[in-house]
Amino acid sequence: MRSLVNLIKRYGEYVFVAIFVVLSTYALGAFLTAGAANGTILPLQASREAVEIDELFNVQFWLIAFFFSLIVVFMLWSVIFHRRRGEDDDAPGEDFEGNSTLEIVWTIIPLGIVLALAVYGGSVLSNIERRATDALEVNVIGQRWAWRFEYPESGAVSSDLVLPVDRQVLLRMRSDDVIHSFWVPEFRVKQDLLPATFGDEDNTRELRITPTIKGDYKVRCAELCGELHYAMLADVMVVEPEEFETWAAAQAAECDLEAADCGARWVEQYGCTACHSFDGTQVVGPTWLGLAGSQVLLDDGSSVLADEIYLETSIINPNDQIHEGFQPNVMPVNFEEQLTEEQIAEIVAFIQTLGE
Amino acid sequence: MAHTTDVRDTYAHKLGNNRWGLWLFIISDAAVFIGLFITRFILLPGQRPELDQTIGLIVTVMLLASSFFMYRAEVHMRHGNLKAFQRSILTTLILGVIFLLGVVAVEWQIAHFGPADGQEGAIFYVMTGFHAFHVLTGVVLLYWVYNNSKRGVYTKEQHWGVEAAAVYWHFIDVVWIFFYPALYLIGTVA
Amino acid sequence: MTFLSTGFVRGLIAQALGTLAGFAFVTGIRALSGLEPFDPVEPALVSGFAVGALAFLFGVGVFDDWLKWTRGISTSDHQEHDPEKPWWYRYLSVDFDHKVIGLQYGAAAMLTMGIGGSLALLFRTELATANVDFLEHFIFGQIFGEDHTGASLFNTFISLHGMIMIVTMLLGVGALSNYLVPLMIGANDMAFPRLNAFAFWVNIPGAIVLLASMFAGGFDTGWTGYPPNSTGYSAMGVSLFMLAVYIVGFSSIFGSLNVIVTIFRMRVPGMKLFEMPIFVWAAMATAFIQLIATQFIGLSFLMVILQRLFGMNFFDSTAGGSPVLFQHLFWFYSHPAVYVFILPGLGLISELLPVFVRKPLFGYKWVALSSLGIALVGYFVWAHHMFTAGMASYLRVPFMYSTLLVAIPTGVKFFSWVGTMWRGKMRFDTPMLFVLGSVVVFLLGGVTGPPNATVASNLHLHDTYWVVGHFHNTMFGGFMFPWFAAIYYYFPKFTGRQMNEFWGKLHFWLMVPAFLVMSTYQMLTGLLGMRRRIAGYDAALGIEGYQVIVTWAGFLIFFAVIIFAINFVVSARRGEVAEGNIWKSRSPIWQLPNPIPLHNYERPFRVVGEPYDYGDPNGHPYVDLDPSDDAPDEPTTPSDSEEQQAPGGADPAPAPTGD
Repeated sequence: MRSLVNLIKRYGEYVFVAIFVVLSTYALGAFLTAGAANGTILPLQASREAVEIDELFNVQFWLIAFFFSLIVVFMLWSVIFHRRRGEDDDAPGEDFEGNSTLEIVWTIIPLGIVLALAVYGGSVLSNIERRATDALEVNVIGQRWAWRFEYPESGAVSSDLVLPVDRQVLLRMRSDDVIHSFWVPEFRVKQDLLPATFGDEDNTRELRITPTIKGDYKVRCAELCGELHYAMLADVMVVEPEEFETWAAAQAAECDLEAADCGARWVEQYGCTACHSFDGTQVVGPTWLGLAGSQVLLDDGSSVLADEIYLETSIINPNDQIHEGFQPNVMPVNFEEQLTEEQIAEIVAFIQTLGE
Repeated sequence: MAHTTDVRDTYAHKLGNNRWGLWLFIISDAAVFIGLFITRFILLPGQRPELDQTIGLIVTVMLLASSFFMYRAEVHMRHGNLKAFQRSILTTLILGVIFLLGVVAVEWQIAHFGPADGQEGAIFYVMTGFHAFHVLTGVVLLYWVYNNSKRGVYTKEQHWGVEAAAVYWHFIDVVWIFFYPALYLIGTVA
Repeated sequence: MTFLSTGFVRGLIAQALGTLAGFAFVTGIRALSGLEPFDPVEPALVSGFAVGALAFLFGVGVFDDWLKWTRGISTSDHQEHDPEKPWWYRYLSVDFDHKVIGLQYGAAAMLTMGIGGSLALLFRTELATANVDFLEHFIFGQIFGEDHTGASLFNTFISLHGMIMIVTMLLGVGALSNYLVPLMIGANDMAFPRLNAFAFWVNIPGAIVLLASMFAGGFDTGWTGYPPNSTGYSAMGVSLFMLAVYIVGFSSIFGSLNVIVTIFRMRVPGMKLFEMPIFVWAAMATAFIQLIATQFIGLSFLMVILQRLFGMNFFDSTAGGSPVLFQHLFWFYSHPAVYVFILPGLGLISELLPVFVRKPLFGYKWVALSSLGIALVGYFVWAHHMFTAGMASYLRVPFMYSTLLVAIPTGVKFFSWVGTMWRGKMRFDTPMLFVLGSVVVFLLGGVTGPPNATVASNLHLHDTYWVVGHFHNTMFGGFMFPWFAAIYYYFPKFTGRQMNEFWGKLHFWLMVPAFLVMSTYQMLTGLLGMRRRIAGYDAALGIEGYQVIVTWAGFLIFFAVIIFAINFVVSARRGEVAEGNIWKSRSPIWQLPNPIPLHNYERPFRVVGEPYDYGDPNGHPYVDLDPSDDAPDEPTTPSDSEEQQAPGGADPAPAPTGD
C-alpha cells in the first residue's frame, strides 16, 4: 500500500500534469481558433488567399496553445507543489543534473514539428501565389500619402480600388517616392512598393488577390512613409463584375464637363486631397480655399500673386516656390508626366473656383 | 599579501591577450570591408568604374612593397637591429603615404566622376575612402612606433607595438588585394 | 567644485566646444569655397556632432593613457584613488575597475530607460484615441518647434523610443557582462581595462547626439531608417540619429572584443570552459554576435549619411541604387541584435533558477551550447524581416526554414528551465519572481514567433501591432525582467545592503501582469488590422477600447518602474544590511564579502566542484577561495557556504560604492 502511494507520488504527478497540459491546450486552442473564425481575433476572410492563410493561422494557434500550455503547466505545477515548505533556505531539491535522452528527444521532436510547419507554410505560400489566366491587371501607385489605381484594360484611373468579386486581380505596384506597403487586412496579404519610374520592371512588384466577398474595405499603407503615413488609406470596393465594368467605363470616359468640373475629377483621381484641403484646414500642403488670387508668402520672404502661372508651376515644379510654413520635397515632382497639359489646366481651373 | 605568482600577470600572458584582442578587432573590421565588397557587386554587377589603370597599378605596387618592408622591419626588430628596423619602417611609412596620395590626391582628382555620379561614383569613393582612412590610421600608427623605437621603448624580446602595427598594416594590404581587382579589373567599364 | 572636476563634466564641456568648433569649421570652409554657409546646414551639423563626440572622449580622459603610450610613457593598470574625493567621483570619471564600469553602464542604462519609457508614455497617450490630438497640443510646438505636427512628433517619438531602448539594452548587456564575467571566472579585471572604459564612455556622447536628433527636426523613418525615406525625404534629425548609432556601435564592438578575450584568457587557472557559470556562456555568445554584426548596421547607416551629405547614390532605386540592399545590411545586424539583448537575460535566468530551486541546472552543457546555437543560427535568418519587402521571392522559403530553426535551441532552454524547476524546493524571493515572470513572458514571445516565420502568415502580420507585441514579449522576457532580477539579486554586491522585498514584490506584481495585458492587446489589435507606427488609426476597426487598455497598462508599467527606482535609492541608503551569502549561492561572487573588495579575489581561487550542484548537500563546493596546498580536495561539510567566505568580510559601507 505504502509503495503504491509512493509510486503514485513519484509518477502520478506526470499524469496530472499531462491531463492539465491537454486541457489547457484544448481550451486555449479552441478559444483562439474560434476567435479567428468569428472575427474577434482576425478580420473578415474576404479573399481566397485569406482562407488559405487562416488555415495556417489555425495550425499556428494550436501550436501556440500546446507549447505555451506545456511549459506553463509544468512550471505552475512546480511552483505550486515543488516549493519549499518550512524547510531551511538551502534544503536541497531532488538531485538530478540532466538527461541526455530527454535532451535529444526535445531537440528532435520540435525539429520535426518545425520542419513540418515549414513544409506546410511553403505549400500555403505557393497556393496563394497561384496564377489565374484571366487575372485583372491593376497598376498600383503609392505616393506620399495617397494611392492611385490604374486599370490598363479599360483605361480607368481612380484613387479608389474597385474590384470585381471572384476574379483574380494582379496588382503591379510601384511607388513614386518612398517605400509604401499595400495591405488590406481582410485580404491578409501585403507587399511593399519600391520607388520606380513608370515601366521599370526591376523595381515593380506583384501581388495576386482573389476577392471573394463583396463589401467595402480599406488599403492601409503598412510601411512608415513619413508624416501622414497613418492616414494613407484608400477605399476598396468589391462589387459584382457588371457593376465593375460600368464603373470602369465611367472612370475611363473622356471628361466632357466644364473645365473646373473635370479638374475636380482629376484632383480626386490623383489623390491631391491627401495633402490639400478645400475647406481651409492646413494639412501637409496649403489649403486651396482662398488660394487662387491671393498674395502667397514664400519661404524666402518674397511674395507672389497666386495666378494661373503660379498654380501651374506649383503643380509641375513644386519645389520652385515654397509656400511659407510648408516643407519642400514633400510633393511629387512628376505630375508633368502623369497628367496631360489639358488636365493640369483643368485642375488649375478647379483651384480657381475655390479662390477669392 | 603573499601572492603566489598568477600566470595571468606575466608579460607572456598579456602579450597573448593583446594578440587575441588585435585579431578579434581585425575580424570585426574585416566585416565592414566584406559589406562594402558585397555592396559593390550588388550595385554594379558585371561592371566596373572607369579608372586610370596606370595609377591603380602604381599604388597597388607601392602598397604591396610597403608590406614587404614592414615584414623586414619586424625581422630586424626580432634580431635587435634597431637601425635597420627604423630604416625599414620609415620606408613602409613613406610607401604608405605615396599610396594615400596616389589614391586621394591623384586618382580622386582625375576620375571622370564625382561621388554623386551614379553607382560608379558611390562605390568607388566609399570603397577607396574607407580603405584610405584605414591606411591613414596605419600610417599614424607606424609613425608612433617609429618614434617610440627612437626612444628605446622596444627591445628584441618585447615589442608588441611593432607587432601590432605590422599585423594591422598587413591587414590593410590584404583588403586592398581584394579591392584592387574589384574596382580595377572585374567587369566591363560602366 | 569636485563635481565640476569629474571627467564627465569635462567631457560634456569638451563636447559642447567640439561641436561648435566642428560646426564652425565646416561652415567656414563652405563660406570660403563660395557655398551658401548655412544652406543646407546639415553637413556642418553632422560634422559638428561628430567632432563633439570625439572631443567628449578626449575631455573625459579615456585617451590619456593611450596618448602616453604613443609617446613611449608606460602606465600602470592600477589607478590611484584620492581618498579625499567623495565615493561618486570615480563613477563620474574614467575608471578602469570593471565593477565601476559595470555600474556606470547600469546607471546609464537606467537613465536611458527612463527617457525611452517617457517617450513611450507620450505616444501611448496619443494612441488612446483614434485621432491625432494629444501631440497636437501647443506645448509640444513650444518645445520642438512650431513646424512639428502631431503626426511628425509621433513618428519622431516612436523612432527614438525604439533606438533609445536598444541603446538601453546594449548598456544593460554591457553592465551585466562587465560586472559579472570577471567575478564569475575569478579574474580581477577585464583583459583590457582602458578599452573597457573607452567602450563605456563612447556611449555618453552617442546618447547625447541621439537625443539631439529630436531637436534637429526629428525624423519620420522609425528606428529602421529605411531609404529612400531616410535618404531623400526625412528631416535632418535622421542624420544625427544615424551618427549616434554609429558612435554607440564602437561600444558594442570594443566591449564585446574585451568580453571574448576576458573569457578565453582571464579565467582562473584550472577553470575549464564547461566549468564556467552559465551566464558566462551567454555573455560569450552575445559578444560573438556584437563583434561582427555591429559593423553592418554601422556601414548601412554610414551609407545613408553619405547619400544625404554627398549625394552618393546607394539606395535610390529610380537611379540604379537598391533600397533592398540597405535592408539586407541593416537586418544582418539588427536581427542578431535581438539575440544580443536576450542571450544575457536568458543566461541570468539559467544562472538564478538553480539558486532558488536548490537543484542543479538541468543539462548544463545543452544550455551552454544552445546559447552559441542561437547566436549561430541568428546569423542566417535576417531576411525574415523582409518577406514583404520585395526581395527576390525565391529567397523567402530558405529564410523561413532557417528562422523556424531558432525554435530548436530556444526550446532546449525552456525545457531545461522546466527540468530545473521540477521537484526542486522553490523559494519566491523577488529575484526569483522576476525570473519566473521572465520565463512566462519570454515564452509568450517565443510561441508567437513561428507565425511571423511562415511566409504566408507573415504577409498578414508584418508591420502590424502583432509584431510590436511579439517583440516586446521577447525584449521584456529576455532582457527587462531578467535585468530587474539581476539588480534585486546582486544589489548587496555593490551596496552591502538588500533591496526591500515588499516593494520589490509590489514592483513585480504590478509590472508583469500589466505587461502581459499590454502585449496581449497589442498582438490582438495587430491581428485585427492595427498597423505599426501610426499616429492615428481607423476608429472603424473597433479597437479603440483595446488601445485604452494598452495605454493604461503602459502607465502601470511606468508606475511600477518608479516604485523600483525609489526602492533602489532608499535601499541603497537605508536597506537591511546584507551579510555574506544571503541567497546561499555557490557562485564565487557570493563567497566574497558585500560589497566586493576593490581587487575582487585576494588570490586565484580553485575550482573544486560543479557550479550548480545544489542538490547534493555533501558534495564539493564550486570553488575554494583559499586553496592551500596541504588539503586541496577535501570535501567540505554541507553546502554551507558561510564557511568559505573570504576572510575579512568588510562591513557594508553606508553608501553604494564599488569597493
